[in-house]
Parts: sequence; C-alpha cells; structure tokens
Amino acid sequence: MIVAAFATENALHEAAAELRRDRACRVETYGAAPPPGMVTSSIVPLLMLGGGMAGAVGGFGMQVYATTLSYPQDIGGRPAFSWPAYIPASFELAVMGAMLAGIIGYFMTVRLPRLYDPVDEAGAMHAVMTGGHVAVVRDGDIGEVMNTLTRHGALTIEEIRP
Amino acid sequence: MKAEAGAGVEDDILVFPAETPHSLTEHICATTLHEGEAGWTPLWWWLGLGFALSLLGMGIISVAWLFYAGLGIWGIDWPVAWGFDILNYVWWIAIASGGTFISALFFLLRARWRTSLNRLAESLTLCAALCAAIFPILHLGRPRFFYWLFPYPNTMGLWAQFRSPLVWDFFAILAYVLCSIVFWYFGLLPDLATLRDRAQRRWQQVFYGVLALGFRGSGRQWRHYQPVYGVMAALMAPLVVSVHSIVGMDFAGGATTGWHSTQFPPFFVFGAALSGFAIVLLAVIPLRPAMGLQPYITPRHLNILGCLLLTSSLCMAYAYVMDVFSTYYGPDPADRIMFAFRLHGLYAPIYWGTIVLNIVFPQLLWWRAIRLNQLVVWLVCLGVLVGMWLERFQIIVSSLARTQLPSAWGQYTPTVWEWSLLCGSIGLFLTTFLLLLRFMPMLAMAEMRTMLGNRS
Repeated sequence: MIVAAFATENALHEAAAELRRDRACRVETYGAAPPPGMVTSSIVPLLMLGGGMAGAVGGFGMQVYATTLSYPQDIGGRPAFSWPAYIPASFELAVMGAMLAGIIGYFMTVRLPRLYDPVDEAGAMHAVMTGGHVAVVRDGDIGEVMNTLTRHGALTIEEIRP
Repeated sequence: MKAEAGAGVEDDILVFPAETPHSLTEHICATTLHEGEAGWTPLWWWLGLGFALSLLGMGIISVAWLFYAGLGIWGIDWPVAWGFDILNYVWWIAIASGGTFISALFFLLRARWRTSLNRLAESLTLCAALCAAIFPILHLGRPRFFYWLFPYPNTMGLWAQFRSPLVWDFFAILAYVLCSIVFWYFGLLPDLATLRDRAQRRWQQVFYGVLALGFRGSGRQWRHYQPVYGVMAALMAPLVVSVHSIVGMDFAGGATTGWHSTQFPPFFVFGAALSGFAIVLLAVIPLRPAMGLQPYITPRHLNILGCLLLTSSLCMAYAYVMDVFSTYYGPDPADRIMFAFRLHGLYAPIYWGTIVLNIVFPQLLWWRAIRLNQLVVWLVCLGVLVGMWLERFQIIVSSLARTQLPSAWGQYTPTVWEWSLLCGSIGLFLTTFLLLLRFMPMLAMAEMRTMLGNRS
C-alpha cells in the first residue's frame, strides 16, 4: 500500500477523488477532523433504533411479566397490569439500549478496537490526528498512483508492505 | 477573576482570532501531556488534590463506620426518615445535569459556543453523577443487598415493585450514569487518538493508545462518527429531563405534605438546570486563567452562561411561586400548616436562604457588566449551589417533620457522620475532577478544529 501526506485538505481530497475516479483505486483518507461536506450516511443510527426498541419492548415486557404473572401484588386495589407505571423504566431502558447499541455498533462498523494496523508503519500516520492529511492507496499500479500523488503535491510518499 | 467588561470586541468572539487548529491542538496536548511550559503539574493542582483527598478520606471513614454500625449513626428517625442521604443524592444528580444540557441540548440547537465548554461540562457531569449514585446505596438499611433493586431472576421469586417511583429512580440513575459515560467517552475518542499520536513518553503512548482503541481519523471512521454522535446527543437531551422528572416523582408519588404535586417533575428539571449551569461557571471561571483557556473560553461564553443561569433562576422562581399558590389554593389544611412551618418555623432560615440564594442574588445577572464580572458571577454560582442544597433540605425535611398527624411531628438534626459524608462526597467529586483535568483534554479538540475550520 502507498501512504502519502499532503499539506492541505483540498490537495488530499483532489488526489483521492482522481485516484478513485480514473484509476479505480481503493483510497482511504485520514485527517484530524471530518472532511467538510462529507456525506455522513451510516447504518449505526438504525442499529441504535433497534437497540432502543429492544430496550423499550424488553423493559415493558419484563414489567408486564413480573407484575401480572410472576409476582402479582394488590397494592391499594390498583390493577396488576398498571401500564402507565411501566413507561418511565421502559424509557430509561430504551435510551440505555440505544446508547449501548450506538457505541457497540460504531465499533463493529468501523472495526475497532484495532490497536495495530499496517498503515501505522508509515511515518506520516503519526501526524494525522495532530493535523496531518494522509491518503492510503491499497491497490492499483504503483507507478501511476505515485505519479498522481506527486502531481497533486504530496509531501511524502511511502510504500508499506503489509 | 478580574472584570473583563471592558474587553470590547473580545466580548463577542468565541475563540481568539490568533488561534488556529494547530495552536489549539498544541496547547491542549501540551497541558494534558505535561510538556513544554505546561510540563510541570501546577501547585494549585497539588493543593487542590490534597484538599480533595483529605475530604475524601473523611468520607471513607464515615462510610466505613456506617457499614459497621448501621443507619443509627445518622440523625434520621421517624418521621424524618430521609435526611442527608436523599438530600445529597438529589443535590448531586441535579449538579450533574449541567454538562448534559450543554453538550447534548445545545449541540442539537447548533449553538457554536458550546464547543469550547462541552468537555469540561461533561467531565463535571460524570464526577457529580458518580457522587449521586453512591447515596441511594448508602441509604439502604442493608447496602450489601443493593443489587436486589435490579430485576434479575432469583430463587426468592421476588421482583422489584415497578409501580414505585423509587424503582424508576434506580433505572434512571443507572441509565444516566451509563449513558453519560458512553457519551463522554465517544466524544473523547478522537482526542484520545490525538494524544496518542502526540505523546512522547512510552506510558502515555500506551495509555492513550489503548483508550483510543485504534481511532485513526479515517474517512470511514468520521463518516459514521458524526451521525452516531448526533443521535447520542438527541437521546441524552430527553434522558436528562426524564431523570430529573423521575427524581421529582420520587417525591410527588408520596402522599406526604408538600410533595404530592404535579409540578414536581418540571420543578426538579428547573432546579437541575440552575445548579448544572452554576457548577459549570463555578469551574470555568478559575480554570480559564489556571489552564490558559482564555483564548477558547471567552467573555462571550461567560455572558451566555450567565444568561442561562438567570433564565433557570427565573424558572425556579416560577416553581416556588406555584408551590405557594398550589398550597394555599388547594384544599388540604395539612399542606398549609406544613408550609407555614417552612415560612416561619424551625427551618425558616433554610427556606428564606433558598429564596435569597436561588432567586434574589441571580437577578444581578440582568446587567451585562455583572455577567462579565467574574468574581461576582462566581459568588452568585457558589450561592446557587448552596441555595439548591438548602432547597433540597427544606423540601425533604420540613415536609417529613410536619406530616398530616400532629402526633407524628418531629424534627431532624444531622450528625457529624452525615456532615462528614457530605464532605466526603465533595472530596470524591473534586478528586475525580482534578484527575480528569490532569489526564484528559479539557477542550474537545476535534470539534474545535472543525469549528475553527480553515484558520491557519
């Protein structure tokens, strides 16, 4: 794979776009902040919806089972199935389920934790989160890729063999 | 803490013009990683930690004695069976709310000013929520069985009483503490990666590297990060309102005089907002100069927080007025007797202290010059925190001391063990907060970099 560092975010994204468009390369960009105008579509909010629904339905169902079947108690003549009283705990469990689904779903989607990745061998990667702009090209013709990166003003280009 | 009313144009900027994403990252990393001029741990931090640990030690002794001797060491008795335990719980959980209001609610409102404050505010939330969470356990007669509150299949065939607000409270605290940790950590992830890449010392590289879990700032990671953070914020905002509503229902669900009111859920949410904004200002004002945060937390932030404090104080005033109105408009003479006891009985100074500290003093913030006078604002915030504690005292104690039956009237005097437990919880709060201050970035660097955009 080839790792190239750029001076500006614009140069990075122009080079990445050209490599993807003209060379059909798999390119991943790295930066300390989300690229401006990035399309932020994700499946994780749907997972969160699922987690929230599971928390709500599970919580409500558990309370129904506990108060009507497993351990019914007559307190002040109130009905065993007192559904309004189940709402607060169900809501809390829904939020908890959604939040846990969010963080777990995010880690699974972006494949974290990953404490080591071969791209870490590139020196340029160590400056990404402090303000660097890096492109990682995982396939394609090495010569053509390097030419394109150089033409877009790459500051350093490293070839990493996984 | 000098007045900055004359700061002119600086009043209206969010970040000083000279600051760039690079200078911000350098400054915050150097402070957190103890490098360069910020490489030594300042004296104020050591003094603060020493003070905090001494309070915490007092609390540990108090808890150890409580576990050994039981609840009899406290001043609670019939009819005042709730004392400092519940009082401190309600006080701390309200203080915890400020961070969530700022980081979640104002994120949804796209308020750019919250970016400089959200990490500090969320850290305060975590520490305060931790303090709140221990009190319901300590107040149990048999704390070792606290897990009985959790609905799990057991050989006794017992379940929690789901129709009781006290059980709702268990779920609310659990959800709030857990979700606050998740939200705080998720927001921190890119900054931990920055610290990992910036760290020079081996232990710091390992420490922040493990916590960052391999976040590298790839396009894929950012693409999923932003929507998830947004949804989390959208969940945290109603969560914080629900938590304080449930705390209010702990009281409203009882037929005790002065508690059985439909306005209690919003009443407690207003109180949470007031004490939450107060603790944020109380921390931010001294930390700005102490940690060199003036370029990022400017007089404009103080001005906005001052406005929020004033607004929540007015909401609180509305709730206090409604409390009086519903008591005297309502049909129950026992309520009126109890309220008269609040106004001019044994605990009257506590009621009037509440009004003065929570309502009267914050009215100073109508004036912009006062909102920018940090010493005055700091004192008002300190007053609000004391006032909110007094408010909890008068709600809990005066209601229980004057129940419907005159034969069951009583009074409550806290013992030294309750005071030491309160001091211990303050020590726990300060200790955890000081540790976070020293080892975690107190500004959300990734979010700030996005806000600063193309500055170079």
